[in-house]
Amino acid sequence: MGGSLLKPVILIGIVYAILKFIVPNIPGSAPLPSSLIFLYLMLTTSGIVIFATLSGESKDAFWGPIQRFLTGENIGGLQVLRYGVLLLFPLIVGWQTYNSTATSDAPPSENRTIHPAPPGEYTGLSNPVAKTPDSIQQGKGFYAAFCSPCHGGNFDGKGPAARGFNPPPANFSDPTTIAMLQESYLFWRIKKGGVGLPIEGMPWKSAMPRWEVELPDEWIWKIIMGEYDGAHQSPRTWE
Amino acid sequence: MTQRLKHIAPNVVAGVWLAMGLLTAQAVSAEEKTEATAQPESTLQSVSVSAPMVKGTLPVDDPNAAVWNSATLSRFPMSPQVHWPNRILEATVRDLNVRALHDGTNVAILLEYADPSEDPDDAAAIEFMVGDKKAHFAHGQPMAQVEGGPVNIWYWKNKDAKGVDMNAKGFGTLSVQQHQDVKAKGAYANGTWKVVFTRPLATGHLDEDAQITTGGFVNIAFAVWDGKKDASGELKEKGSQKAVSSWWYFRAEAPPDYSGYYYAALAVGLALGFQFILIRKLKKGQSA
Ligand code: HEC
Repeated sequence: MGGSLLKPVILIGIVYAILKFIVPNIPGSAPLPSSLIFLYLMLTTSGIVIFATLSGESKDAFWGPIQRFLTGENIGGLQVLRYGVLLLFPLIVGWQTYNSTATSDAPPSENRTIHPAPPGEYTGLSNPVAKTPDSIQQGKGFYAAFCSPCHGGNFDGKGPAARGFNPPPANFSDPTTIAMLQESYLFWRIKKGGVGLPIEGMPWKSAMPRWEVELPDEWIWKIIMGEYDGAHQSPRTWE
Repeated sequence: MTQRLKHIAPNVVAGVWLAMGLLTAQAVSAEEKTEATAQPESTLQSVSVSAPMVKGTLPVDDPNAAVWNSATLSRFPMSPQVHWPNRILEATVRDLNVRALHDGTNVAILLEYADPSEDPDDAAAIEFMVGDKKAHFAHGQPMAQVEGGPVNIWYWKNKDAKGVDMNAKGFGTLSVQQHQDVKAKGAYANGTWKVVFTRPLATGHLDEDAQITTGGFVNIAFAVWDGKKDASGELKEKGSQKAVSSWWYFRAEAPPDYSGYYYAALAVGLALGFQFILIRKLKKGQSA
């Protein structure tokens, strides 16, 4: 009889242990947020409840012990625990309610899309400048003059003028920036700047200049070459 | 004896199970509350300024008033303005300390920063968005795919010793408003500027002035000019050559609200009632 409750508890314990201790250790994954673990445990629990209450017999075996615990009939020393639970439950409900009505101290969360879709005319353009050591060198020179104050002489986003800007200037040596992008995407971003972003990119926050007002297209294409070369990355080429 | 054990064992299990569920729920909600930990000033990097409501008069003329300490210190890094021409590659001010207070009618914002010399042209400014439209932090310059709004700029310059209420919507559109609602007062001592800006939280000029309602977050940005002159008598920093920040958040805190306690008490009452009825029902069912 007791076994009918023991099994679900053990099962939930195992699921918890897997989510908490095993999943984070799988290469390439990260610790799960506790809200997600909680959700999975709730799903497991409701699964067990549904399963246990499928037949009349298993239903009794499942609810019987819970019922007895709540009514306090013949539970001897467990009375203490029972009163604890009966006291704890309303208090927790009260605490949760208080928390959910308390106004948040956190400013609005920033759900900024870092790489929104470019306008149609900027997809699939290829770099018209021949990739010679000369043009790469020239591109690096322009980069040093125009881009390095923010994006850094080491292409790491840590230029001397980067500190006041939020979002920060992109770190080109990070594999999640230009290595994920095509040259034509960079051409769009450099030409049109932060103010060229669509609304999900939050253009009003970006310090990225709109270089079309200062640099000819040919320079921008050369800068793109110098940027990839300097950051030791290559553009994404596949569609 | 075995009969007793048979009864107790499942009860232990049930009790532990319930308690576990409750504790998990508890831990989840506790973890999701971000904690504000005390940090040394030099590494403090804020995302917002929060202005508590104070009773009595705001220290509008006194950057050194003790009441400023009741506001949490926020600290923002500043960049030399390299975003648009004319650029400057190095600016004097690298960090800005900000505190703010309000009294339900007016808001007072205190900027504090290191500047090695007091100069007539030393200046500082605070920027807000106006209305519901987003505005780019650099003077509300036009955005290609988003219709932007104007910015409201509160400006102070040492030699003018007053606040100036301005608007811009794009470079070269900076204009002084017809109606001036901003007051400002600076005090320089020991290599530090303290400048207080004051304005009513709400003004009648919805198209020109940022409106600050308590409890809500609005965008805020900052600029500072070191008015020092170089050897040839030219100003080191002027116009677009200044220290800047991009957008952060500002909030005038709502007056304390105790309704959370009432709702919590109500919830406790409901939970108790629920338990009471549930157990009574179960007992009746058992004896039947
Ligand atoms: C005033 C500082 C500043 C300068 C100068 C600047 N940038 Fe940026 N840049 C930024 C910021 C901030 C971002 C991140 C926000 C955004 O994506 O708009 C960015 C983003 C970018 C991105 C997008 C990267 C990605 O992963 O989406 C590219 C490409 C780029 N910059 C290239 C350049 C080039 C090339 C130059 C020089 C011609 C330059 N930037 C000069 C501030 C700057």
